[in-house]
Amino acid sequence: MASKERFEMPWQYNFPPFFTLQPNLDTRKLQLEAWSALILKYFRSHRLHIIDVNEAQSSPLFHNVSLNRKLSTETIQLILEELRRTGHLEWMDKQKRRGWILWRSVDDWAKLLYRWAIDNGMSNTVCTLYDLLHGHDTADEEFHNMDQDLMQRALKALELQKKAEVISMDGNIGVKFF
Amino acid sequence: MRKAGIGAIDKKRLMEARLKDHGEEIAAEQLKQLSTSLETFRVKLQEFAMKHKNEIRKDPEFRRQFQEMCASIGVDPLASSKGFWSDMLGIGDFYYELGVQIVEICMANNHKNGGIMPLEELFHRLVKSKGSTASQGLATDDVLRAIEKLKILGNGFSIIQLDRGRILIQSVPGELSLDQNQVIKAAQQNASITLLELKVKLGWQEDRSRKILNDMVAGGLAWIDTQTGASNSDILYWFPSLFNANINTL
Repeated sequence: MASKERFEMPWQYNFPPFFTLQPNLDTRKLQLEAWSALILKYFRSHRLHIIDVNEAQSSPLFHNVSLNRKLSTETIQLILEELRRTGHLEWMDKQKRRGWILWRSVDDWAKLLYRWAIDNGMSNTVCTLYDLLHGHDTADEEFHNMDQDLMQRALKALELQKKAEVISMDGNIGVKFF
Repeated sequence: MRKAGIGAIDKKRLMEARLKDHGEEIAAEQLKQLSTSLETFRVKLQEFAMKHKNEIRKDPEFRRQFQEMCASIGVDPLASSKGFWSDMLGIGDFYYELGVQIVEICMANNHKNGGIMPLEELFHRLVKSKGSTASQGLATDDVLRAIEKLKILGNGFSIIQLDRGRILIQSVPGELSLDQNQVIKAAQQNASITLLELKVKLGWQEDRSRKILNDMVAGGLAWIDTQTGASNSDILYWFPSLFNANINTL
C-alpha cells in the first residue's frame, strides 16, 4: 500500500493570481478545476476527510504564507460547490459549514472495506468499528483513522447490498461481513 | 576644325563601346565562373549530404550547421517535401511531422495558456509525446525551424523573442496585436505588470493601457491578482506563459 507519499504543490500554488477569483469565465473554469484537483490530492495525501469552511482559511492549502496570498471564504465556498457538483463533496449540515471531501466515493470506500474483510478472513466474524478504524490490522489501509461517520456511511452501503451487518453492542459498534 | 572635332568624338565613342563590350565580356566570364563554382559547391554539398546523411538526421548540432551552410547558398532543404533534398535526407518529412505534432500540442493547450507557450515547455511536451527514443537528437532549434515552416500556412504561429534568449511560441489564430506584444515584453521580468507600470514603461494613456489589459484578461492571456498588499487599487496582471517561462517548469 502506498502510504503518505510526499506531497508537492502544483505550480499554480505559487502563481499569485491563483488566489484571486478570475473574472474571465473561461479562466475561472480552469482555476476552479485546478483548485478542485488540488484539494482532492491534498486531502488524499494527508488522509483528511472533513473540511470546515470557517477554518479553511487557516490551512496552508488555502493560504500561501510565503506569497502572502489567500483565498477568500466566498471563493472557497464556490470551489466546494464545484466539488459537490462533481460528486466529490457531501455537506454534513444544511448551513454548508462542514462537509466530507470524497477523494473516494462512499461506494468506493464500501468496496475497499469489503475487500479488506474478505482478504483477511474476517467474513462471518464480528469486528468492532474501533478496530476497523484504528486497529493494528488496518494500519496500512487507506481507511485507517478515517472519519468515523464516513466509515459508517460506507458500512451502511454494504448493509444495503447485504454484504455486512452493523451491530450495536452496549455502546460499541460492531460489524459483521458476509 | 569642326570635322576633326567630330572625328575625335566618334573615336572616343568607339573606344567606349569597345570598353563596354569588353567589360560585359569580363562580367559574363566572372558570372560564368561564379555559377560554375556555385554549381560545384552545390554538387559538393549534395555529395556531403549524401555522405553524412545519418549524422544530419541524428545529430542536432550537425543538422543546424548543415542548414546554415545550405542557407548561405540559397538552398532550402525544407522548402518542399519533394525534390532532391527531402528524397535524399527525408528531412522534409521530419519537419513536416514535427510541425503536425507542434500544432496538436499547441491546440490541446490553448485553453490553458491562451495560446502562448514557452519554447522549453513545448519542447518538453514534444519529447513526452514522441517518447524518449523517437525524440533522441531532437533540438529546440528543430522546433523553431518547424514553426518557421508552419508560418507558410498563415499567421497562426509566431515566435516571440524575450530577453536572455527566452522564447515564447504563440499559436492563437490571428496575431497578438502590436500593443499586446509590447505588454508581454514590458511584463516579462516579473511575469506581471500593473496599470501604472505599463503607463510609465510604454508611455501610454491610461485608457489605452486599461483597454489592452482588459482585452488580455478577456482573451485568457492574463490573470488578475487583487492581493498586492500596498494599495488595493493596484491590480497586478499576471501572464501564466511568462510565469512558467520564468520558473521553467511545466
